[in-house]
Amino acid sequence: MTTEAAFDNPLAEGLDTVRRAPPGVLVVFGASGDLTHRKLLPALERLSRRRLLPAAFAVIGIARTEMSDDAFRDVMVEAVPGAGPGWAEIVKNSSYITGDYAHPGTFSALAQRLGQVDEALGTGGTRTYYLATVPDVFAEVARMLGQVKLNRPAHPGATVRLVIEKPFGHDRATARQLDAALHEVFDEEQIYRIDHYLGKETVQNVLALRFANAIFEPLWTRNYIDHVQVTVAESLGVEKRGSFYEKAGALRDIVQNHVMQVLSLTLMEPASSIDSERIRDEKVKALRSVVVPQVPEVANIAVRAQYDSGWVEGVSVPGYRQEDGVDPHSQTETYVALKLAVDNWRWAGVPIYVRTGKRLQKRLTEVALQFKEVPHLAFPKAAAEGLHPNALVLRIQPDEGVTLRFGAKVPGQAFRVRDVLMDFSYGTAFLEDPPDAYERLLLDAMVGDPTLFIRTDEVDTAWQIVEPVIEAWSAGAAPLAGYAAGSWGPRQADTLIQRDGRQWRTP
Amino acid sequence: MADTLSPPGPVAVQRWQKTGAHLGEVLDALSNLRRQGAGQGAGTRTAVMTLVVVGGTDAEADSCLSSVRALGSHHPCRALMVRPEPDSTPAIDAEACLWQARTSDGTDEHPVFFEELHLRVGGQAASHLASIVGPFALADMPLVLWFPGPPPDPADPLLQVATAVLVDTRFASSDVAEVAHVYRTLLELANRQPVVDLSWARLQPWRELLAGLFEPEPARELLRGVRSVAVKGKPGPRHLLGGWLLAQLDLRTREVTLQDARHVEISLHAAYGEEEGTFVVSRDDTARAVWARATLSCGVAHSQALPLPDDSLTTALSAAMGNLRADRVWERALAAAATLAS
Repeated sequence: MTTEAAFDNPLAEGLDTVRRAPPGVLVVFGASGDLTHRKLLPALERLSRRRLLPAAFAVIGIARTEMSDDAFRDVMVEAVPGAGPGWAEIVKNSSYITGDYAHPGTFSALAQRLGQVDEALGTGGTRTYYLATVPDVFAEVARMLGQVKLNRPAHPGATVRLVIEKPFGHDRATARQLDAALHEVFDEEQIYRIDHYLGKETVQNVLALRFANAIFEPLWTRNYIDHVQVTVAESLGVEKRGSFYEKAGALRDIVQNHVMQVLSLTLMEPASSIDSERIRDEKVKALRSVVVPQVPEVANIAVRAQYDSGWVEGVSVPGYRQEDGVDPHSQTETYVALKLAVDNWRWAGVPIYVRTGKRLQKRLTEVALQFKEVPHLAFPKAAAEGLHPNALVLRIQPDEGVTLRFGAKVPGQAFRVRDVLMDFSYGTAFLEDPPDAYERLLLDAMVGDPTLFIRTDEVDTAWQIVEPVIEAWSAGAAPLAGYAAGSWGPRQADTLIQRDGRQWRTP
Repeated sequence: MADTLSPPGPVAVQRWQKTGAHLGEVLDALSNLRRQGAGQGAGTRTAVMTLVVVGGTDAEADSCLSSVRALGSHHPCRALMVRPEPDSTPAIDAEACLWQARTSDGTDEHPVFFEELHLRVGGQAASHLASIVGPFALADMPLVLWFPGPPPDPADPLLQVATAVLVDTRFASSDVAEVAHVYRTLLELANRQPVVDLSWARLQPWRELLAGLFEPEPARELLRGVRSVAVKGKPGPRHLLGGWLLAQLDLRTREVTLQDARHVEISLHAAYGEEEGTFVVSRDDTARAVWARATLSCGVAHSQALPLPDDSLTTALSAAMGNLRADRVWERALAAAATLAS
């Protein structure tokens, strides 16, 4: 290594408008698994096709499954049919280690392999460890990486990062245990916790809509907003994840992470800068403003339900208890409706209604801000029969966009006012297809931008909010309701919101 | 990139034309096209700019048109094709068309509508194009003038209505003196307003790949000791890339060699301390791809390959439309290229 100061690359001037990963190695634990095959490898190929990966780059796969380097390279090729020519170069540089995550030999082999790659390609000691494994081994892999000192950069200027995917614990206590185990080996700045929802372009667009436009933010308060509805609906059932889902349920699988992330972006105050820590500080502040429910009140503010058989998108589907891997007497919820309150100046008195479920009528995620009614309607009642309060709907998926509902005069001699929708679709206005969530998050992790990753205090606060609900339900405080597959959920959820004189949107 | 620029082909949904038209009639016709297409969703316009293609040969204009249409769903814009014919009958012949393209996010499809307007301007009006183009500009949107032929006279009043000017130095003459003249004209133009060179956008993969070869630390150090650079290619691209390397690496002109060839290729040799290295970026003849390879005496070797788009003009246009700003690196490359050419 030279002792002289690092020399800027004059040929890169003007090309830095796009972030590119620096030279380095991506080490994938669980490399023989479904996530690697279905998501990570295709995302890497797209990054290479978009010219966002460096020439000095390699993938090292690790898993218990016996596989040679060549077999892993074949897996890489098969995972991306029709790959561009750049992929072949990455495949050529890549290799595989068969090994148990509890065995020190696996990690000394990794250390040796990383040294060889650095020497051959000039990757300079920069590594990103991606744990595409079951969460049970996160702590163990981290500990073993620490044992062979692969948790710290071997060279000045190099970086070492650890990427893990949700679920982060099964409850608050286990989440804290996991964090403690990771922090024994890695600093918080090195840990990148993925919730792939945050990688979605339209989730990030919530920030852009709120803080890049002067017209929305002044309205984004209790002065104008009556209530907020967050809907995360899936038309699919549990598919092949029955045994996993049995232990999780909708509250842990969706509300604790995806919903809380969307909610924090919706509720947060403007950050003082786009700096990742400032944004995450504001997200945590927003979550900390959510009133933690008391166990005895859970029965009044939360509904849990499970889908029965029914028809979804023209197909007859079984009930949850008839799904593979599901206990025929299961008490696991596939639907949650929740009413939350927020204690701060911006949101005090504005209820937040959340609903999420499987086998609902259609797949969609949206945040709807329902505005208050006008204080006085100057028209005769009959003239405004078709008029409802304004609503601003942020559609996160599919058909990403923004809809504003407002009243307009119906053309003609009579004075009649009716709702109209001003509908904006991101897909019709922007220049490039957005990157897929994994593509975005993989690049961010390699570049070292943690903005879209979840910090330890975010995880903890989100668990704090849902934990009383888990506790109450575990104690049998709320009976499990049923709903027909293909509907919008149980009637108890309707009652929950109707008690407040409101109703769920029909998206 | 090729994978992002393949919307289904647009279709013409409404047409209108008139020989000897007044501008007011043409503007009314454009509004009517929208109104008539409203049932299909054309009432809502999503537009990102007004794009005006000025002059050029028939072949150049056709090529521009097909690129604009191919980009319709990604860069919906009002496109004007203006053919100034000062020596013909004083009249404006107009043809307007409303196109519909579709975008898809994999789940949903959205129709996107954009307008195309052809104006043949005969007589003295051909010398006062600003007065004709201005009324067609979409409010609050950038107006981009695209000159597919020779670059405009920097004093042309039409340039005053433009937010940016698109040119293409790819087809600069094989006469090096003329190449130098074109480059100097463009530099003068760039002093007045943003100029975007489609050739520069087209050469971006070569530039990115070469720059990327120097990202690993051992290779980066070699940039302190570049000994020679050879650039092959046709006159425009090879001069531009040669100028870029001359300017960015602060080389002497004798250290840069230019050579005529069908495809662009850059070779760079460097030595610093005890280290030596060779860096090559070249086009693969058998596939539409560019390869980059670095070989260092310490044993480090890395390579990378990037696919080239099927339609390089459309891709370059897309890149240019996304970045309508002055580019100081291009301007320095152009100035150095003018030196190399002369």
